[in-house]
Amino acid sequence: MIIDIHFIGLIIASIMASAVPLILASCGELITERSGVLNLGVEGMMIIGAISGFALMTVTGNLIIAIFGAMLAGVLISTIFAFLTQTLITNHVASGLALTIFGIGISAMIGKNFVGIPGKEFPVLFEGLKDTIPLLGPILFGHSIVFYFAFALPFITSYFLKKTKIGLIVRAVGDSPESASNQGINVRLVRYACILYGGAMSGLAGAYLSMIYTPQWIENMTGGRGWIALALVVFSTWNPIKILIGAMIFGGLTIIQFHMQAIGVRIPVQFLTALPYIVTIIVLVVISRDSRKIRLSTPSSLGKSFHKDN
Amino acid sequence: MNTNLKISNVTKIYPGCVANDNVSLEFNSGKIYALLGENGAGKSTLVKILSGVIIPDEGKIYLNENNLKLNSPLDAKKNDIGMVFQHFNLFETLSVFENLIIDSDEQRESLREKIDTIMKKYNFSIDLDIPVLNLSAGQKQKVEIIRCLIRNPKVLIMDEPTSVLTEQETSELFLSLKKFSEEGILIIYITHKLKEVMQLCDEVAVMRRGKLVSVSEIKNENIESLANKMVGQNLKTIKKKKAKTSSGQLIKISNLNFTSEDPFETNLVDINFSVNRGECLGIAGISGNGQSELFQVLSGEIISEKNSIEFNKNYIGDLNPQDRREYLMAFSPEDRLEQAAIPQMKIFENVALNNFKSSNFFNNGLINENKIKEHSKKIISDFNVNTDNIELKSQFLSGGNLQKLIIGRELITSPDLLICFNPTWGLDVGAINYIHETLIKINEQNKSIILISTDTDELLKLSDKISVIHKGKLSKIMSAEEVTSEKLGILMGGAN
Repeated sequence: MIIDIHFIGLIIASIMASAVPLILASCGELITERSGVLNLGVEGMMIIGAISGFALMTVTGNLIIAIFGAMLAGVLISTIFAFLTQTLITNHVASGLALTIFGIGISAMIGKNFVGIPGKEFPVLFEGLKDTIPLLGPILFGHSIVFYFAFALPFITSYFLKKTKIGLIVRAVGDSPESASNQGINVRLVRYACILYGGAMSGLAGAYLSMIYTPQWIENMTGGRGWIALALVVFSTWNPIKILIGAMIFGGLTIIQFHMQAIGVRIPVQFLTALPYIVTIIVLVVISRDSRKIRLSTPSSLGKSFHKDN
Repeated sequence: MNTNLKISNVTKIYPGCVANDNVSLEFNSGKIYALLGENGAGKSTLVKILSGVIIPDEGKIYLNENNLKLNSPLDAKKNDIGMVFQHFNLFETLSVFENLIIDSDEQRESLREKIDTIMKKYNFSIDLDIPVLNLSAGQKQKVEIIRCLIRNPKVLIMDEPTSVLTEQETSELFLSLKKFSEEGILIIYITHKLKEVMQLCDEVAVMRRGKLVSVSEIKNENIESLANKMVGQNLKTIKKKKAKTSSGQLIKISNLNFTSEDPFETNLVDINFSVNRGECLGIAGISGNGQSELFQVLSGEIISEKNSIEFNKNYIGDLNPQDRREYLMAFSPEDRLEQAAIPQMKIFENVALNNFKSSNFFNNGLINENKIKEHSKKIISDFNVNTDNIELKSQFLSGGNLQKLIIGRELITSPDLLICFNPTWGLDVGAINYIHETLIKINEQNKSIILISTDTDELLKLSDKISVIHKGKLSKIMSAEEVTSEKLGILMGGAN
């Protein structure tokens, strides 16, 4: 068999492309969880983003409006979650699950009119450079702006949490909302902001799916990616760089098992389809097994409601 | 510059309890003030009002004649009031420096310099770049103090600061506080420990049940007078009668060993002792020398070899706590709210928990609520638990009341042996006295006690025989009359 270097480059690029929505949604959820809020509504926020982006693109024809519209839609739906959990002090888990169910339902309803409409082509950057370098060319060039943003995001997130004051405040609130409140930090405000940010990133992840990755609207097209994003956050022990690794492994195995199925490898299809989930979790568990580090990076107040009493 | 802090007619009412009843106080810098009172007297509420955590229903606070509006902790900070809480307000997973920079407006470098200057000045040594959870309690407190000092406070409030400190750390703290006071910081020291007030403070304000009962200078007071003001009645000094000469052996521990897999636990090495009926054996030691493991082995939380524990002529080393209770042993663990009682469960539910087998609390697997409630009411009245609501969740009981409830629950079945671990830790004088009286009474009824405690005074007061545990080994057993606290101190340090 002749191995075509250019072909390998394309495969790696397609793996990276499939990792994009996971990275976006995970990095958003990571910030939310670092502030102590467990939002299980990622899947719902993603699908809302997907339909909003696609619908706005079809109706307005303007890609910028569509992308930002999708993020705004993510923000709006996460506001419901924020209002429930932070203002009305409801249970995080139940509210998040409700958000997902709500998102899937309402997106299917809005999406009725958009089924079967072809999407628009999304502009890519550095198209011309694609063939200049073997292997690296297709990996580095010819992708959408969202693609580049997604691969920068884990590093930005890491820098934000470690080096900036606001990042410090987010971690402090997640570690101990009581102490933070006693230090004069507005816990509710910080958590609202983190939830809305997570919503925006999930919305963007959804828009990437419906506008760039497979430019069309299919009901339930996120297909569980929101849940994978949630799992990535936990198994990466709230570390953005490990999210990147996990998303790449997951994306990689998904793509490779497609190819294996296509070639006709004699392994049961069910096993191949399950493989990405199993391997990703095993790898992340192995690279994150230092219990001291886990203790240091787990937001102590995760999923617990904070109620300030006077 | 002189600092004057005035609290004027402050009232704070909670449902069912007046936490502060029209309290007025005045403080001036250059002195160290003690705010003294039992648990639940309203001290903590008052200082939380001063630090903006709680907003009072009525009353005003003046700093140098300015009326302060303290609606949040931020307001207190802005007005130069610094507060070190009893339960630290630190972020455990963040580094020391991150903890300090979080509420500061300064740049990293200038803040680091400032912190270094403070640490040098007061002889603190703390690594700024390790996470707070790796610090000892004393170091954590220093971080809290540094956090206040960064802002050049006019007032520094310390809420029960020594409850988590070792003696060495306590004397270090006192030195620092005196230095702060000399530098013109007004210090308010909240405590229920009388010795500390006498040692450290210049003036003392005593609170009881939400009211201010007295303000006086330390030189006009002594420990007894303060204790009486705090409790509101004359405390009798308790004296234990010497146990009658032996009336038979009750429990005998022979060649008991315990090797733990957890590196943070202490191994027990070759433990041998016996206790006679009507006797109290005290086990002294600095905490962390194997007391907790010894308690667990004795209570059956950790099971050992059958023959290593002989109780009332039965070998019971391999029995669990429930089965040991059948042989009339009773246990009062150190951690009242986690080990002894379940915080979210009601008083009467907790009462039922230690008595599954022999009691008639359960019929065919169903709970007989009336029986349990009746029984709980009896405990509450017999053992002076200050509540009449047995439906109350046990987490809302004060430490003293909870301890009385637990001791009562254990004793009402009239066991032959009570094993207790730090039974008066963190309690106020009134409750301590009550517990001590109760323990003495048990001995007088010819029942035995094993008292594991880190409080040397308590051991000397209550024990007939004393041994010291050090690194999992017991010293030889001494008669309580022949030991002094100095001698115990030497043994606790590991010398022979």
